[in-house]
Amino acid sequence: MNLVVLEHVDGAPTEVSMQALTLAQGLGGATHALLIGPGAREAAATVPVAVAHVAEHEALDAFAPDAWAAIVCEVSDRIGATAVVAPGTEHATDALARAAARLGEPLAANCVAVTPGNPLALTRVRWGGSLLEEALLHAGQALLTVAPHTVFAASPGSPGATEPFTPELSDADLVVTVRDRVAPAAAGVSLPDAKVVITGGRGVGSAEGFGPVEELASLLGGAVGCSRAVTMAGWRPHTDQVGQTGSKIAPELYIACGVSGATQHIAGCKGAKRILAVNTDPEAPIMSVADYAVIGDLHEVLPAISAELRRTAS
Amino acid sequence: MLTVLSALALLLVAGLAGGLFARRALLLTRIVRLGKPTPRLGELPRRVRNEAVDVLGQRKLLRRLIPGLAHAFVFWGFVVLFPTIVMALIGAVDRESTIPWLGHQGWFAFLVDLFVVLVLIGVATAFWIRKVQRPERFRGSHLGEADLILALITLIVTTLVLWHAARIAVGLNEWPAGWSPVANAIAQVFGEGTWAEARERILVWAHLLIVLGFLVYLPYSKHLHIATAAINVFFGRTRARGRLEPLDFTVEDEAAMRFGAGTVADLTWKQMIDTMSCTECGRCQDVCPAYATGKELSPKLLIMGLRDQLFAEGPKLVGDAGFQPSALVPNAVSDDVVWDCVTCGACVHECPVAIEHVDHIVDLRRQLVMVDSRFPSEAGQMLRDVERSANPWGKPQVERADWTEGLEVWVLQPDEPAPELLYWVGCAASFDERARATARATTKLLQAAGVDFAILGPRESCTGDPARRMGDEYTYQAYAQQNVATLNDAAVTKIVASCPHCFNTIANEYPDFGGRYEVVHHTELLAELVRDGRLQPAAGEEEITYHDSCYLARHNDVLAAPRELVSRIGKPLEMARSGKRTFCCGAGGSHMWMEERGSAINEERAREAAGTGATTLAVACPFCTMMLDDGMKQVGETMRVADVATLLAEALDARAPSGATSG
Repeated sequence: MNLVVLEHVDGAPTEVSMQALTLAQGLGGATHALLIGPGAREAAATVPVAVAHVAEHEALDAFAPDAWAAIVCEVSDRIGATAVVAPGTEHATDALARAAARLGEPLAANCVAVTPGNPLALTRVRWGGSLLEEALLHAGQALLTVAPHTVFAASPGSPGATEPFTPELSDADLVVTVRDRVAPAAAGVSLPDAKVVITGGRGVGSAEGFGPVEELASLLGGAVGCSRAVTMAGWRPHTDQVGQTGSKIAPELYIACGVSGATQHIAGCKGAKRILAVNTDPEAPIMSVADYAVIGDLHEVLPAISAELRRTAS
Repeated sequence: MLTVLSALALLLVAGLAGGLFARRALLLTRIVRLGKPTPRLGELPRRVRNEAVDVLGQRKLLRRLIPGLAHAFVFWGFVVLFPTIVMALIGAVDRESTIPWLGHQGWFAFLVDLFVVLVLIGVATAFWIRKVQRPERFRGSHLGEADLILALITLIVTTLVLWHAARIAVGLNEWPAGWSPVANAIAQVFGEGTWAEARERILVWAHLLIVLGFLVYLPYSKHLHIATAAINVFFGRTRARGRLEPLDFTVEDEAAMRFGAGTVADLTWKQMIDTMSCTECGRCQDVCPAYATGKELSPKLLIMGLRDQLFAEGPKLVGDAGFQPSALVPNAVSDDVVWDCVTCGACVHECPVAIEHVDHIVDLRRQLVMVDSRFPSEAGQMLRDVERSANPWGKPQVERADWTEGLEVWVLQPDEPAPELLYWVGCAASFDERARATARATTKLLQAAGVDFAILGPRESCTGDPARRMGDEYTYQAYAQQNVATLNDAAVTKIVASCPHCFNTIANEYPDFGGRYEVVHHTELLAELVRDGRLQPAAGEEEITYHDSCYLARHNDVLAAPRELVSRIGKPLEMARSGKRTFCCGAGGSHMWMEERGSAINEERAREAAGTGATTLAVACPFCTMMLDDGMKQVGETMRVADVATLLAEALDARAPSGATSG
């Protein structure tokens, strides 16, 4: 008997969950599904398994990893599951790791293939995808997560029974739960998504000196970036840093102001379609990658561009 | 009758003390025997020499004169006075007997007197240093333990000289009393009296009991080093201090495969003895650039943390094969400590007892990176770039030789005959604008001197060094094998490298993968060309200070050649921290690709260089160039930072303004 934990969005199981289901079905034997939280019942009705268990509880509106772990243990115990499979998402992995700890069993994360048998023979993704590990899983109960998009979801068959139930949850199960969701503090566009990025380097001179950079960014609907020198000087947070050790970005237009263009910086912005450099030094290395350049002081050039933009807009 | 009783009493006390000592010594030995293998037996003559120079000669301790002499007095005193323990053991049983021959020598009695005084001077100095001077290097050390040990040493030598005095007072001295000026003078004060005989008995027993107490306390204290330090020095690294021990990924038995150090069970036996040899003197901490700039890392606390965990879990490991030791990180040391290290090796160079801190750090990193996948996230990009693009900035390989534009450099093709000399450019000089200046200058100089050389161009890859120093041994070995294959196929025999990191890797680490070449740094080759008159730079008046790269000076002893060049083209000025005691630029240990916590190492070094008053800072490493050039801008200094090769090329142009060197 296999139990597969399915995540769902808008009343339908997610693609990666269906991939996990396909892998679970490859283990042989009957497969049951477990879906948790609001919308689980609608999603369960579409899943081609013998029985889809639906955990419903008022405390499950928000994700709570320990509660999920408790439910996984409860259902797997009830149906006598020999294997529990979940998609290798952050939530499901979190829940399964906790379930593994409760059961005293090992968890094999990021599997891409499984050969049935005792012990199970697994292939797992390691080292950020650069290595495939062949492993044998010695366990009383096999707990697996499936690396997303490594298995082709193909689960023929028609949906079976849906069995809703109310899980038994203690207060301890609900200690960790999602209370609030906060968008990244930066108003406007985030650095990696921005179509236009205006970056200030050491040439900006101070934290206050970023005024003209921010002004131009807001006029163009772009994001503000900075070089490592700026972060080192404490003028801007590391989250704004573009470069090898910051964000690697690929905007439509990259405007580098007062940035000399160290290799470590260029490594982060070379994906840009067009690069405009504003710098007083025509010999600065940034010039070798720039498509356009303005040789001049950014504190004069940027306000002039902003003024022109305002004039044409009005 | 009294003799028999004394003998029984001695047997009891000495047996008890010896037994307790042996019990502890046996346990420690059994722990060390569980250590993982590491080859430390080759080059016997050099090991004997290290033992003579570093242990008997106290070389590293004497680098700091006052504390060094204080320690040397106590250490030499311990060696010279050792026979007096046997004399006291014999004398306690039979006051009429002593060691044959030696016990009757006047000169030995004189040496005993002399070293008692020297030891007392040493101990007094040590107390003065600890109580009055209170140097920063002791922060985090067990100060109370040190006080107790110093007090015990004082008691041992004091009771020794008093015992000798008491013997002279009752005429029991087997040696001419005149040879013992100190003991003799005290004997005059003692005088003869009714309890003079008893005094001699009390003193010999007091002396012995303190010595035996010390023996028992010794293996439980940091003073254990008197038993382990000489062993650790003997098995210390001999040559190639920049070389890391490779991991063996071909082991058949997977359980025996070692991915660095995750728990105390993964430590090599040398690493275990390292931790048992530390006396917490803090010389390492004093020279550590990470510690100096407010990072969490202190090499001393690193070793102490590992020792504490080894002593807590080692005995359980010995007793129970099934015992599961806990993770070293973050229990013994925190993650930050592991990542703060720049692998500059200043700590290793300074350590008087041959502790190899960098090897510990790299082994901890190997476990974190290869098993736990836990490392500073910003470095992940570099690891991916090295793996996918064969350079740490993710630049296209096809652009590797772009810097040669207009220089007519021979790019070696697969079937061409081997060049006399291969120029290994390195990723930095191939791709970074500032470092390219070095490659161009070196090329012009070699061409001007008529040297026949080639580069590999797009067939040159990252040496794997940045990945290796991060702990990603797997990626490193893949590149090591690939590069060695390329070099061997091309039948290369002699290599010149611009980058000290490439230089170190190819010269010291590629032999482990079958790559054996004559490798020189470009400053060595250029100095040779200048010496031979093949390059004739103009002498200049500019004041130049030279910054030693850690991987060149400290790890590979390249000190003279760059200085030779600097003094030919300008007026050299030395920084306080130079040569093998240089201070890192902050880029080592893959820190070029990590963000820095605390204040910046490069700024500290830039300030020091600017403080010499020189106008130019000469360097010989592309990473030092970048870090220190940035550092100058960060601290608002205008000092020029340039590679020695760049400066030399300018000096050559100054002599031949017609452009004879523009080749």
